[in-house]
Amino acid sequence: MAVNLKRSSGEDSDGKTSRRRMLGWLTGAGLAGSAGLSAVSNFVFIKPRATYGQPQRFSVGKPEDFPPGTRAVLASRGICIIREGTKLAAISTTCTHLGCTVGAADTGFACPCHGSRFDQDGNVTGGPAPRPLPWFQVTLAPNGEIEVDKDIEIVPGSYLSL
Amino acid sequence: MSPATPPKASFLTALADLPKNVWKSIFRNPLPSNDLERSSTSFTNFFLHIHPVKVHKNSLRPAYTFGLGLISFFLFVILIVTGILLMFYYVPSTTQAYDRMLDLRGSVAFGTLLRNMHRWSAHGMVAVVFMHLCRVFFTGSYKKPREFNWVVGVILFLLTLFMSFTGYLLPWDQLAFWAITVGTAIAGYAPVIGKDIQFLLMGGTSVGQEALLRFYVLHVAVLPAVLTLAIAIHFWRIRKDGGLSRAEDADPVVSLEAAPAVKASVLEPKKTYGFQGLVRGPLAKVGQIPDNTVFSWPNLFLAELFTFVVTLSAILVLSLLFNAPLEEPVNALHPPNPAKAPWYFLGLQEMVSYSAFWGGIGVPGIFVLLLLGTPYMDRSTKGVGKWFSRDRLLANTIFITFVVANIIFVIIGTFFRGANWAFVTPW
Repeated sequence: MAVNLKRSSGEDSDGKTSRRRMLGWLTGAGLAGSAGLSAVSNFVFIKPRATYGQPQRFSVGKPEDFPPGTRAVLASRGICIIREGTKLAAISTTCTHLGCTVGAADTGFACPCHGSRFDQDGNVTGGPAPRPLPWFQVTLAPNGEIEVDKDIEIVPGSYLSL
Repeated sequence: MSPATPPKASFLTALADLPKNVWKSIFRNPLPSNDLERSSTSFTNFFLHIHPVKVHKNSLRPAYTFGLGLISFFLFVILIVTGILLMFYYVPSTTQAYDRMLDLRGSVAFGTLLRNMHRWSAHGMVAVVFMHLCRVFFTGSYKKPREFNWVVGVILFLLTLFMSFTGYLLPWDQLAFWAITVGTAIAGYAPVIGKDIQFLLMGGTSVGQEALLRFYVLHVAVLPAVLTLAIAIHFWRIRKDGGLSRAEDADPVVSLEAAPAVKASVLEPKKTYGFQGLVRGPLAKVGQIPDNTVFSWPNLFLAELFTFVVTLSAILVLSLLFNAPLEEPVNALHPPNPAKAPWYFLGLQEMVSYSAFWGGIGVPGIFVLLLLGTPYMDRSTKGVGKWFSRDRLLANTIFITFVVANIIFVIIGTFFRGANWAFVTPW
């Protein structure tokens, strides 16, 4: 294929854009568009549609399993069940800083990774954690079991009355 | 007797000459014994043709480069070889990965040695690449025309860190799990796209099988490919940018007087003249300029071989003396206390313990942007080719401040942090 090495100004003598330049633009736009589309489809491909993991909504047992005064860390669920009298709540044990699992400490919760500290209600008392530990929605299912939904965060301090 | 005819090549003589002919078909040159053959050897050998035929004496001075770039490359080669061997026994599965680590220790021939070599080379590469970056900065070697190669170098440094980051999820032990939990959470703090990056890296909402598979693919395929490409560009640019940097006065300046031209009136219009017919006086300046270059064969190649042998020996000795640590298998419920990253990320972890965004994204991000922009902000051409040149006092001081600050953070994170990341004294 012969290539004309002479640079054309891209304009005809009457000032209109030449066919050659027009075709050049179209080719460039087509290639760039295709590259963009394939980048987007790669992104769509590696973003999983379904994830494999624990359900976010689960049952933790009957109210009787948690007698008044209980602070039970359910490690596999990443929550701590608190019962005071007839009130019950579920606090997250996933540190709001960088996702480590906080442990129960005398004063509340403490994180082993970067030293965040929380009080009994999950409020930050020290360390780099930016937010208090979230509280999750707790409901009483028709079969009498306590159901926790980790997808729904509620205002800290709001309990389920039994 | 008839006039001499070439002896007929019989099958037997062909057979007898077979080794010689095969050898000659592969290596066109004899072992060089003169300068022409030395050049020719560098040209015609695939592995040698990356090198220049002649190299400046300054580039061979050990005290100038300390061979840090070469050592980084050789560590990368060791990592590729040992990494491929380890792949024969590794399975990226949450139920099998840790057992495979134990198998490497217990039942695979040379398994422990290979894993040790891979681990110590990885640590070594992070350290040496960083030292190489410091060398280039302190000698002002990022300046024009080497600006872009400095940028490629910074990218190589980041890729090295990312390689090591993706690598240490693979043993699926406690360090692996919690380091990646924390690392991906740091990515989640990046503005706007942070949460998406975190989700893409983990392939889900927590570190599990999907994350292990993704990190494996990144570690053994994607990143090595990108790294290899970047290394190729890095090496190619060294040649195109005129070899390693050196001081302006590395070569004595020789004034070249132009030979006086012959007057045009003397020339006959219809005659063709050679170059020497047009000027008078001593023409050949070649050989009059002091030549500070030496042939790559054998000077450069021996230096490279020496560096390789020393690097490999050091890694072998380290791997025979010290075993790569392997912690308890993953327990997603209980992080170890304190949960510490490897030493080169402890500075980052220490900063993160003050603020997740500023420690993990803000400060490192600004540092990387400053590094990338260095050759475009510092346009002065002074002080190239000398360690700690006085002309570069300001730039060097700023850089040293960053380096020392990071080292201090690493030391605090390593020795002064105990359970719950509380401040402890190591004595």
